[in-house]
Amino acid sequence: MRASLWLSKLSGRVFTYGVMIFTVVVSTFPILWIIMSSFKTNKAILGDPFSLPKGFDFAPYIDVYTNYNFLNFFKNSLMIAGIATLIALFIYSCAGYIFAKFEFKGKTLLYVLCTVTLLVPGHAKAQPIFSLIMKLNLYDTKTGLILVYTSFGLALALFVLKATFMTIPKDLDEAALIDGASFWRIFWNVNLPLARSGIATAGILMFLGNWNEYFYALILTTSETNRTLPVALQFFDEAFSYNYTRMFAALTLVITPGILVYLLVQEQVQASVASTGLKG
Amino acid sequence: MNKKWTTRAWIFAFLAPTILVFLLFNLVPIITVFVTGFTDWNGFSAPVWAGLDNYINLVSYDDTFLISLRNLGLWSLIAGTVHVGFGVLVAFILYKRPFGWRLVRGVFMIPNVISVAAWAIMYKFIFNDDIGVINNFMRDIGFSNWHVKWFYESPAAFIAVTLTWLFYSVIVTLIVLNELMAIPKEVHEAALLDGANEWQVTRFINLPLVRNAIGTGVILSITARIAMFEEVALTSRGGPGNDTYNIPLMLYNGIVNSEYGYANAAGTVMILLGVIVMLGVNRLFRMNEKIY
Repeated sequence: MRASLWLSKLSGRVFTYGVMIFTVVVSTFPILWIIMSSFKTNKAILGDPFSLPKGFDFAPYIDVYTNYNFLNFFKNSLMIAGIATLIALFIYSCAGYIFAKFEFKGKTLLYVLCTVTLLVPGHAKAQPIFSLIMKLNLYDTKTGLILVYTSFGLALALFVLKATFMTIPKDLDEAALIDGASFWRIFWNVNLPLARSGIATAGILMFLGNWNEYFYALILTTSETNRTLPVALQFFDEAFSYNYTRMFAALTLVITPGILVYLLVQEQVQASVASTGLKG
Repeated sequence: MNKKWTTRAWIFAFLAPTILVFLLFNLVPIITVFVTGFTDWNGFSAPVWAGLDNYINLVSYDDTFLISLRNLGLWSLIAGTVHVGFGVLVAFILYKRPFGWRLVRGVFMIPNVISVAAWAIMYKFIFNDDIGVINNFMRDIGFSNWHVKWFYESPAAFIAVTLTWLFYSVIVTLIVLNELMAIPKEVHEAALLDGANEWQVTRFINLPLVRNAIGTGVILSITARIAMFEEVALTSRGGPGNDTYNIPLMLYNGIVNSEYGYANAAGTVMILLGVIVMLGVNRLFRMNEKIY
């Protein structure tokens, strides 16, 4: 009896840690393999894909950076994702504040309509958005992509920001009102600073989503001057078809910024995904 | 009175940009997709009413659409069972807080913060015959003639595309874990007092109590299959033949070839399928019923 209890406990342990180790391996192995291979020569990659690099040669990284316009793509991604996130945070903070603290006719309907857009697959609206950007003369511009990415945050940011503003006590607004503060000041100086954590959460999620976006960047840009990193990867893939070292260096350069941002704000990202089920 | 009107003006000013985004990037596009799906339209001349032509074309021109639907069906089934199941399993394991659970939770998220495009290309190399780890591993352990051309032969391509996303269900894990942690302690105490063992608590108390979160997970993962683009476009490109084709790929081709009516018929199908999945899963998991 005791032996069988002990056995079942042991097999439970083995199962638990088996699943945990498997989870870690499938999540990190592809990344580690790419990074490791980027420090190997092409010959070594072809010879044995499991071998460890002999040293750390950054020449392929420098090559990708200097000879393949990588810095430019990096700047584009950073600028487009960053500006779109900032604009989105501002306009959805304004709206989230109203939805959280004011009453007006049709409020619930408007809020539901805005957040239900989340259920529409983003790709399904591709043609009308493509034509809209064409009509605005913004095809193949950074502005066009910024505009589209700004619109992506609608449901997610409203959801997170409305909830945040609802936690800020109305007494504060009333006190400020009695002191003669204007509508704008109550929003900007009283509420916004207190909504920091929600704004940070929405901002991180939107930035990661924008930084990684591929589909719309692919259909809305064409020239190298406006290319973002995920799209550039595809061109690298074609250009470096048999130079694996360079391709892996390029891949490493593209994936590491996102991972670093995530590692810095891990808890926040996990908490917001857990409560919303969204990842930007 | 004056003051009330100023407040109203402010409210409107605060909402205006959001309303504009809703109209320009959501309402108008969705209506356009629905309406022009019934027209013949190349984007240059005005759309011409064509009734169900695009839909008939979708089904009868060749078997691309039907294969896409079959693929979506299979992928949805796999997503709803294996993919979500794995996410739920990890959640239930982490809920017991074994040594290292925080690390596993944190690491599991990493594939989800990387560009799907990069992830797809990485997997292309993992399945590469010359340098890929899968084929080399198989050859190393004794199958010296193992040369499966993943992504380029049937049925390996379908399996390879599936493997690019199959185990990455951290979203499911996080929402289920969140719900598990919200279960009041008294519920468990009462059950244990009544003589229930750990397995019974998991199976008959925890599992039913988190069915909303699991349902949400199923909806999210099937919706992600409906919109799956990079995982196919950057690996098998729908091939070999039409083997791994899907609706987003058809829609993309429709736009590139200026067949806007056709593209939007495909878009309409995507939207409708999304709604059907949501309503279906909602019913299946009885998600609207109160739990406590």
